[in-house]
Amino acid sequence: MSQIVTIAKEEWRYWLRSRLVKIGLIVFALLLILTSALTASRVSEIRHDREHQQEKAEQSFREQPDRHPHRMVHYGHYAFRAPTPLAQFDPGVDAVTGQSIFLEGHRQNSAMFAEARGNARAGGFGSLTPALIYQLFLPLLLIAIAHAAIVREREAKTLVPLMSQGVNGPALYLGKGLAILALIMGLSLPALFGSSLAITQGESALTALSLYGSYCLYLAIWGSLILTVSCLVRSRGIALGLMLLVWIFSALVVPRIAVTWASYSLPSEGKIITSMRMNEDLRKLGDGHNAADPAFAKFRSNILAQYDVDSVDELPVNFRGLVAQQSEAELTATLNKYSEKRMSRELEQSTRLDRFGMISPYVAIGTASRSLAGTDLSTHHRFLRETEDLRFNFIQDLNKVHIKKLSYADDMARNKDEEAGKRARVSSENWQILQDFRFQPDTASTRFNRAAASLLSLLIWLLVILFIGLFTSRKLQP
Amino acid sequence: MTAIDVKDLKVERSGKAVLHGIRFSVQVGEVFALLGGNGAGKSTTLLTLLGFLPVAAGSVSLNGISPSANVKKIRDQVAYLPEAATLYPHLNAYENLGYFLSLSKLKLSKAELDATLEKVDLQTDARSQKMETYSKGMRQKVSIALALLRDTPILLLDEPTSGLDPVAIDEFNRLVRSLAAEGRTILMVTHDVYGACQVADRIGLLRGGELVGLFGSNEGQKIDTQTVHKAFTERTGAKRAVS
Repeated sequence: MSQIVTIAKEEWRYWLRSRLVKIGLIVFALLLILTSALTASRVSEIRHDREHQQEKAEQSFREQPDRHPHRMVHYGHYAFRAPTPLAQFDPGVDAVTGQSIFLEGHRQNSAMFAEARGNARAGGFGSLTPALIYQLFLPLLLIAIAHAAIVREREAKTLVPLMSQGVNGPALYLGKGLAILALIMGLSLPALFGSSLAITQGESALTALSLYGSYCLYLAIWGSLILTVSCLVRSRGIALGLMLLVWIFSALVVPRIAVTWASYSLPSEGKIITSMRMNEDLRKLGDGHNAADPAFAKFRSNILAQYDVDSVDELPVNFRGLVAQQSEAELTATLNKYSEKRMSRELEQSTRLDRFGMISPYVAIGTASRSLAGTDLSTHHRFLRETEDLRFNFIQDLNKVHIKKLSYADDMARNKDEEAGKRARVSSENWQILQDFRFQPDTASTRFNRAAASLLSLLIWLLVILFIGLFTSRKLQP
Repeated sequence: MTAIDVKDLKVERSGKAVLHGIRFSVQVGEVFALLGGNGAGKSTTLLTLLGFLPVAAGSVSLNGISPSANVKKIRDQVAYLPEAATLYPHLNAYENLGYFLSLSKLKLSKAELDATLEKVDLQTDARSQKMETYSKGMRQKVSIALALLRDTPILLLDEPTSGLDPVAIDEFNRLVRSLAAEGRTILMVTHDVYGACQVADRIGLLRGGELVGLFGSNEGQKIDTQTVHKAFTERTGAKRAVS
């Protein structure tokens, strides 16, 4: 054990006396600190803004004056997704999915973006997140610093005197590995700080520390791979070239192949074709604004039979409201069918992409990181489903007000008779039907379970490489 | 008492035979020099004794232990001085010695290091300078100091006087003789006929992986340099031996 520690200390002394290593470490430390601070500040600001905007939108809806309830259906409402505390480390799919949505009757709108301002103000740094630095650039730094760890001894012919002091291959491998591990722990400090900060902001310790641990695991994979290659080859040039090829393959080539393969093997229908098909289905449902639409003839006869009356004028409830309610229910079912199909396909593609984590740790850490941070596709889908529930509920609650609190006669005459128009308004107290919406991240155990497969593949990566490295080091010869 | 025993040793490197059944032994307290030209198999013999190369046929043992049986024990008992005096250029003499000695679980004081560096005649002001500023001879002195500080019963020296000036060579030879007098066994490989004759009790002449001659005896008789020189140039095919 003392030999291993001695070798590790010596490696650190070598690094600290190398100007290149010192400059590299300083540059990356500054980059990490700067990016962490900027991302944390930006996400914190966004979270604050969205929470404030959500309250403002709810207040604005509830403070609308007396009016026809269907006008409120079209007045609509906004729902915002406040980022999780860990989004300041890994904003995940937020940048490409949108975080706010306008909710209105008869439509399911797409989520919208509000990031352009933030990015411009940060001079582009906004998109360089701590997660990206850890996933993409820190492996490069490790390669630059550690690729020669063992092969340097071979090239400088210090392997013979070293081994003749009783140092065997595994001890050398573990000693150099310990030095790299210490380097990784040092480089992971900003991640630890970020995770701790997230805990103070209400994040669960399990997810925050798992996120930190997963990045340590990921960097340890790179460290052990670099060391194993350094143990196998006979020149530092080959070690560097080989590791750069591995990096390019793992971080640049495989993710793109994965995306291409996922979208090729599980093609999704184009937006235009889907819209055309959906509109065709929606047209069959009839126009909910028009109670006389033949599409509602059967509905009308059912209602008349239910209330045992001969005409809609005799109904104790507002037939237009009933049609609007029925129409919204049918329309929402159709819209949900398409959106569920789309989300299901997106999830299938994402799952297929995640499988590439078995051949690229970069893909695996990306999946684990987004899942743990609560910024993955599943979380976004849940946001869409929850906002759709919110939309459907308040629209149908407004339709209930329409049915119960507005007479059919006044409703029909509201555009012709000014007095009827006045009576066709309901009290603004009815706008209190709007439920509060605060999007909550998944529980820690759900997020951890979602990340488990990727974490397991990272662990397998590490164990396999360590096994190969230790096995190779046993045969280490000068 | 035999300290190093080499019997019919055959060694192959990259599938090619490098040593073809050499046989010699070194007694405790004896200085034995393996003399030969480039590619004769001198360094291969040392690396095999250290357990870095496998034995294809025959056997080797140091103090009765075979490297293949217990390489760790062998390396605990042997101090090895490599040919190129390979030490770390970013460290100074103290740091180099401290690092290598701590790997052998030896912790010595600065005074003890200084005493040995004094013995090998390394200038005081150079000891705190990085090795990258050292001449080849200075690096060799630190390597010798390391071999001495390990205080092992057997020393394997690969071209130990390479890069040393004549005065330093004389001092080194005296040091080797004093170590032998203390009971240490020394096997050195060299192509320096004169140096080998000066310091060794016996000399083995290697040529193309075969031991083609043995000179000297254990009774302290002086080896005749001319005889060895003649044999070296004839039997190794060397046109001019280093003298």
